[in-house]
Amino acid sequence: MKVFRLSQAELDDMVQQWSTTRRVYRPATGRQQPAQADCAPGWERAGDGAPLTVAAGPSKASVKTFLFPQPETMQTYSLKSSDPDRALLKEAAKAADKQIVVGLRPCDARSVQLNNLPYRDDPYYQAGLVRTVMVGFTCKAMCSTCFCDQMGGSPMATEGLDIAVSQLDDSFVAEALTPAGEELTAGLDLTPAADSDLKALAALRKDCPQPDNARLDTLKGRDLNTLYKAPLWQGLGESCINCGACTFICPTCYCFDVQDEVVRGAGRRIRYWDSCMFPLYSLHTTGHNPRGLKMQRTRNRFMHKLKYFPDRFGPFSCVGCGRCVQDCPVNIDIREVISDLLTVE
Amino acid sequence: MPAIKAARSAGGRGHGPLLPPCVLHDNFFYRTRTDYMPTINEKLTEEIRAQARTLLADGTVAAVIGFARGSLPMTVKPVVVRAAADCGRLVWNSFCVLNLANYLPEVLKSVEPPRGPRDPKPAGPLPKVAVLATGCWSRNIVVQTQEHQVDRERVVVMGVASRGMVSRRKVESHFSGREILAVEELDHDLLVTGADFADKINRWSVVRDNCQTCIHPDPVLVDVRIGEPASARKNPNPFKQVDDLEAQTSAERWAWFTSEFSTCIRCYACRNACPLCYCPTCFVDDARPQWVGKSLDPVDTGLFHLLRAYHCAGRCTDCGACESVCPMGINMRMLTKKLNKDVLNLYGMEAGMQPGSPLPLTTYATTDPQKFIVTEAKAVKEDE
Amino acid sequence: MTTQTTQTSSTSQTSQTSQTAPWDPKIIAFLCNWCSYAGADLAGVSRFQYPPNIRIVRVPCSGRVSENMIMSALKSGADGILVSGCHPGDCHYISGNLFARRRFALLSSLLDFVGIEPGRISFSWVSAAEGEQFAEIVKTVTERVRSLGPATRLVKNIDTVQTA
Repeated sequence: MKVFRLSQAELDDMVQQWSTTRRVYRPATGRQQPAQADCAPGWERAGDGAPLTVAAGPSKASVKTFLFPQPETMQTYSLKSSDPDRALLKEAAKAADKQIVVGLRPCDARSVQLNNLPYRDDPYYQAGLVRTVMVGFTCKAMCSTCFCDQMGGSPMATEGLDIAVSQLDDSFVAEALTPAGEELTAGLDLTPAADSDLKALAALRKDCPQPDNARLDTLKGRDLNTLYKAPLWQGLGESCINCGACTFICPTCYCFDVQDEVVRGAGRRIRYWDSCMFPLYSLHTTGHNPRGLKMQRTRNRFMHKLKYFPDRFGPFSCVGCGRCVQDCPVNIDIREVISDLLTVE
Repeated sequence: MPAIKAARSAGGRGHGPLLPPCVLHDNFFYRTRTDYMPTINEKLTEEIRAQARTLLADGTVAAVIGFARGSLPMTVKPVVVRAAADCGRLVWNSFCVLNLANYLPEVLKSVEPPRGPRDPKPAGPLPKVAVLATGCWSRNIVVQTQEHQVDRERVVVMGVASRGMVSRRKVESHFSGREILAVEELDHDLLVTGADFADKINRWSVVRDNCQTCIHPDPVLVDVRIGEPASARKNPNPFKQVDDLEAQTSAERWAWFTSEFSTCIRCYACRNACPLCYCPTCFVDDARPQWVGKSLDPVDTGLFHLLRAYHCAGRCTDCGACESVCPMGINMRMLTKKLNKDVLNLYGMEAGMQPGSPLPLTTYATTDPQKFIVTEAKAVKEDE
Repeated sequence: MTTQTTQTSSTSQTSQTSQTAPWDPKIIAFLCNWCSYAGADLAGVSRFQYPPNIRIVRVPCSGRVSENMIMSALKSGADGILVSGCHPGDCHYISGNLFARRRFALLSSLLDFVGIEPGRISFSWVSAAEGEQFAEIVKTVTERVRSLGPATRLVKNIDTVQTA
């Protein structure tokens, strides 16, 4: 592991240098303009010389869009009668060039690891992991909606990051944690961190909230059926409007649907984000829908994150970034849901 | 790390590890003063609670749809209260941006005695539901009645004159993204507190655009009056935003359209927060034919917004719920506002203002304007 | 999501039937069964010439034409769209075209508002006896679309969408 000390100017310069040969993305600072339409909503291309500043708290859009694009083209085909390969599904060309994501937070980095549990055999996600280099910024302060420490993370955690940048007073310390991270810093004229910097960093890390999942882990031992039948879902389902905002801004929601699109003879099979809030989500071809009621769909999201996923994989499928808390149109607060679930007898 | 600890204690974590950090926005500071006088919203809250209690206690209604306090500053939770004892949860403030009419058809159904799909409707009157309604929400209830989604006989409208709801986004951008930990509402000001700042801002300056241009703040249906009726509001041109855009060239408007909707994530919050959207299967979910693709292609996103807005033509009351709930801050209300303007200019109608007459698109006049029609005479003229 | 969603439709050149042939507008015409379709038929029988750019979709009534169909045609690459029905008062179903008139008025205004060129989407009334008028209207509409050039706005194009 190599550790460097950077000023703001040196940090900007480093990002600038990366952007000359690779695609570098950062959280969008303002509303996106069409000139930057080659980014997912909430992100923009870095390297325009603007100083890199990352607002407190998680970025508006989560990092999942780089590994689990909306949409992912899986196969392409042609339906043109003149095409000799008519109606033959072909594997879509996959990009292999590196993309660098700058400015994600430790919670997002952790979400990549969590999504990797169900997606460990998914070729698309794995290909995304290989080509994405994550340069994260650790958090100097937690927002009022953050609860990463409760979900097994920490504001200064580096798990899942290739390079972790931490702020020390007016300068930064960058830790190249993986070979991919070291590759990025290699060849750049960077100042190694002094011992005093390392000490300051260690002190910060020691002082910040540590992962503390003792309280929540009691949920894991609870009986699934008791939680499933808890009366609290009725009220939640009643106020939920079943939009997909929470699931789409959530870094750890990973459900998808597959569809074919054909335009003027050119076809593609895409997988795109689905949400358990949508009525089509679990609709069977028979017309039967096991989650036909709004309440059942709302319940599914929380039960999946807090019960089904940990039962199957171990950790909760939530990193405590608080995005859904901030953006839910009807203020359904997962922290309250957890508190209420803990009181279910 | 002091910075973290400071932010966390300001967030009020003392309530327990996971409790929402900020519950200070219910006039906590104000109440502690010696010269305490209840604000307009506090009086309305008390009145709402009392009326709801009466309605539930005497069995007039089986449920009351209202708002409860939210877990963050500037948020409220829509709730359905079914017992007089729970009426203390209800609140009223300037952050009630959701349209409660959206919940009405479903709650009406939920209070009916359970029956199978082929069972006959039970004899006798079905239980009623009370709902809080401002000007625009009550107009939506009129539209729902006109469209037979709601039985007017079963609804008790608790009419509140709207003073204009505050846009959370406007407040946040006023403080340029610094985290807001508490907002206390006074009659004409908001006291906004963050970890390292505290400021007083004028309430009207952060009221939503649709409320600032609204000329019908008073409910058109009132069964139970809450507070005083609003005095008539004048606005020489409620469609100014639309006019400004119309004055631009076609290319500029196209640039606006593509840019405005480029950040859409297709979460459908705008659709689901809208009391006009109740189709069992939305056109975006049709697969054969697929009218609109489901991913983030800019054409699909644009078509979704155009068609969604168009489906609200002649029915939209400009309640602003779509815009308020959008997590990406898209101004999709501009499209429905444009349609409202056309409907008013062409057919002289405003949604929900004429309870007895049909909706503009379910009727016609033989004299309807048809300037847009290509005629053969025009064809000859243009050839010249 | 990198470049998959990236191509704005304005860069697409999609309306050509092939890369080499010069562009010729393709116009989808939704014609009502009782008047406009018969008008088109009469134009043919009477040998009134009109440009061969329209592709006719016969519908029972102009009231049947929904905004979904019109937008779907545009999305699929039609350079122009013509919707034609019976003259007001002559509808086979009494009032289908009168309801449609209100809907089309609002739709054309909304599309103009978001920057779809006026002239891309046209509406007309043609009776079964108006073969000549039908030919004239098709001429006008075709010329208008031709002067606008290939449609690019709200045209979906997955050919040019790169797989990042």
